[in-house]
Amino acid sequence: MPDTATASLRVGQQVPDFELETYEPTKGDFGKFSLAEQKKNKRWTILFFYPADFTFV
Amino acid sequence: MGVDIVTVSRDTKFVHLAWQQDEKELANVKYSMASDVKGDQARLFGVYDDGIGLALRGTFLINPEGRLMNAEVNFLNVGRNIDELMRKFKANLYVAKKPNEVCPSKWKDEGDKTLVNPGAKMVGKVHEALKG
Repeated sequence: MPDTATASLRVGQQVPDFELETYEPTKGDFGKFSLAEQKKNKRWTILFFYPADFTFV
Repeated sequence: MGVDIVTVSRDTKFVHLAWQQDEKELANVKYSMASDVKGDQARLFGVYDDGIGLALRGTFLINPEGRLMNAEVNFLNVGRNIDELMRKFKANLYVAKKPNEVCPSKWKDEGDKTLVNPGAKMVGKVHEALKG
């Protein structure tokens, strides 16, 4: 089984720019997250991964 | 505080919409719910579990220059504590503002004791520096 941890980012490293489609609950509409935009707007980002919607903790 | 919280799973944006509208615990959420359908971002951050094909509970703090400043990964069955996340975020904000200081483990908020200019004189004397 491949060891995903070895190929991944480490703390202190630069995160490559990426974009993800989003749902924006405050607008009730779809949107987009862009790390490049965050950098342009000088915003911090907290990415919060979880296994799946409709789970429990 | 200049931070955006983005939750990420392999669900589509359509499922995010349905979940947020269905689950009353999520009625007041303000954060963006992002869709990482192929799991590429989960792989990049090292939280993709190939055995189950889902992302583990990983939290990552990225600064405004795009640098990864903090990482925490929990297994599937343990939730994350928002107080500890905010403590780490505040500590990162603080040291970004004051690069000659460091936040010790007990640091919680602005005004708490930091260590200033840690260097040769402080080696072996952290106890005294924290008391001083």
